[in-house]
Amino acid sequence: MLGLERRSDVPAWIYVAVPVIAVLLALAVGAVFLVFTGHDPLTVYRVMIQASFASTFGFADTLVSATPLILTGLAALVSFRVKLWNIGAEGQLYIGAVCASGIALLIGESLPGWANILMMLAAGAFGGMLFILIPAIARAWLRTNEIITTLLLNSVALLFINWLIFGSRSFWRDPAAGQFPQGLRIPDEAYFPRWGATRVHLGLVIALLAVVAIWFVLNRTRFGFRMKILGDSESAARYAGVPVRLMVVAVLLLSGALAGLAGAADVGGFSRRLDPNSLAIGMGYAGIIVAALSRLNPGSVILVAIMLGGVRNAGTALQSLPERVPMEIAVMLEGAILLFALGSEVLVRYRIHWPWSKGPALDASPEEAEAT
Amino acid sequence: MNETVLAMTLAAAVAAGTPLALAAIGELITERAGILNLGVEGMMLLGAVTTFLVSLATGSPWIGMAAGALAGAGLSAAHAFLTITLRANQIVSGLALVIFGTGLSTFLGRPVEGMPLPRESRLPRMNIQLLQDLPLLGRVLFQQDVVVYGTWVIAALTAFYLFRTRPGLSLRAVGESPATADVMGLRVNTIRYVHTLVGGLLGGGAGAYLMLARVPAWSQAATTNGIGFIAIALVVFASWRPWRALLGALIFGLALRANFALQAAGVTFIPAEFLAMTPYLLTILVLIALSFSDLRRRAGAPEALGVPYAREER
Repeated sequence: MLGLERRSDVPAWIYVAVPVIAVLLALAVGAVFLVFTGHDPLTVYRVMIQASFASTFGFADTLVSATPLILTGLAALVSFRVKLWNIGAEGQLYIGAVCASGIALLIGESLPGWANILMMLAAGAFGGMLFILIPAIARAWLRTNEIITTLLLNSVALLFINWLIFGSRSFWRDPAAGQFPQGLRIPDEAYFPRWGATRVHLGLVIALLAVVAIWFVLNRTRFGFRMKILGDSESAARYAGVPVRLMVVAVLLLSGALAGLAGAADVGGFSRRLDPNSLAIGMGYAGIIVAALSRLNPGSVILVAIMLGGVRNAGTALQSLPERVPMEIAVMLEGAILLFALGSEVLVRYRIHWPWSKGPALDASPEEAEAT
Repeated sequence: MNETVLAMTLAAAVAAGTPLALAAIGELITERAGILNLGVEGMMLLGAVTTFLVSLATGSPWIGMAAGALAGAGLSAAHAFLTITLRANQIVSGLALVIFGTGLSTFLGRPVEGMPLPRESRLPRMNIQLLQDLPLLGRVLFQQDVVVYGTWVIAALTAFYLFRTRPGLSLRAVGESPATADVMGLRVNTIRYVHTLVGGLLGGGAGAYLMLARVPAWSQAATTNGIGFIAIALVVFASWRPWRALLGALIFGLALRANFALQAAGVTFIPAEFLAMTPYLLTILVLIALSFSDLRRRAGAPEALGVPYAREER
């Protein structure tokens, strides 16, 4: 077995090595499955890189894919920081989208566009908060496991948006749509402005502002300081007079609000209607990857989200290959990157004693240590 | 509702609860060792697609099922290595399994998406002599396929193993207090590895059963449909006890089937989507109810659940 020894200081190269190793190993695993299914991994990867990073428009689409990931990444980040596990960003994003599209349709053309957009963002954040409220209160007062409650609510939210668009004649559904039900378009004024001819939209600016805001809250406010104490030790926080229950609720609501904003950004900037097919692509779950890879550091969230956005964006480009590589290779790569990143994370915390290296490993039992 | 409809509904509920029970018992075993594996959904999906591909290639559902269970164990091995040897965060690692398993199974299953399994590679029904003629119960319990009975046996064996054998005692010790177990001379990491793998086998097996007996064709979205997540909740619901997990799975099986039964009975004013939400909402309600008062103390969560064990840092 491997022996692990806790590091006292972390050499700088490791912070670069971890993500690089993770991505390379994930690509290697992906290559195995690609060869296995009769595809040429080099061609696939070249097409993916070209599609996402090598042209202006390709990179713009990467940024579009990265926009919701930044927000859901922050959502996971704030809750993980205090060792609360909001796994429900997926569902909070859907409900955020429901509220944002609802308010945009309700306002219609009665308000100027900028006011409508502001209302959409507020509604999106509100929807996300609403959807995490019960798990948050149950966690704070009853210590009900928030992992399971938030996880299960994702399925509820998915069924709900499917019902709104496919299962009923709701306010959100386009009454003119015939055989293929779809959401009603929000008014033109409420479209998020786009950057030039690209599809990059206001949502990216909001996501970046959210990064700055979260950084500020975490590092420069009393709230952030209390989060830090709570994250280190709940009993210490209690002795220090931190209102633990209120903090738990507040942090989870903040997390839900960020996920809900991602839903609003999809409605306003991308699909322009409540569209279950555009929403239910795992942006909330991907946020957990983003948070984990960024090592809960708001600034790194941007870079990680762009990298993952590139992988996702490239998945679509693969469809254009003559041999039609299934785009799910992108989802698989995402999961593999996360697995390997978790694995290589060990380098940050521990020095490794390989089984074949000299000297007894630290956690070997006495007999084993004698034997070596 | 006449007796035939009732019997059919209950029989369907027993069958629908079976994959849930398998996955939940597997997760229960893993959690008893102190390892939380949220990746059940991923293991089930990969188990299902592997079963489909192997059954199709070999024509034997049994070889397919074995392959599916092994695929689940393969994914859980990754979780075990990351969380036990490398001491990674169990929650994030489990979710990584879900994402990886979903992506990989869809990727592998793309060429056969929507294709039905031929009749000979589906599970045969096995009626139990004499018992099958019992009124109502015979129809509900004893005209099922062999995996349904196998699941009851697995529940019984797991209960016996956990509470009546020495290795079962060791397992519970490792889940409650790994440091103490270590001092007692138990191999904490080995025990954790073994039971994480067993959980994976059962999770993959649950996916295999879904594929062979429950759903007509492979489709990523429709095969597991969130059952893996319900299985995790079911473990809490069952307070980490195998018989309760089996019973809970039957109740959830009923909730999953209530949809069809109500439609058959002409109840249409509740939309199908809302009926489909009930198992999830029910679970959340039960979890919250369980958190009230001292019920939780007796609920019996393994004390060290989710905590990595490092001998030199205890």
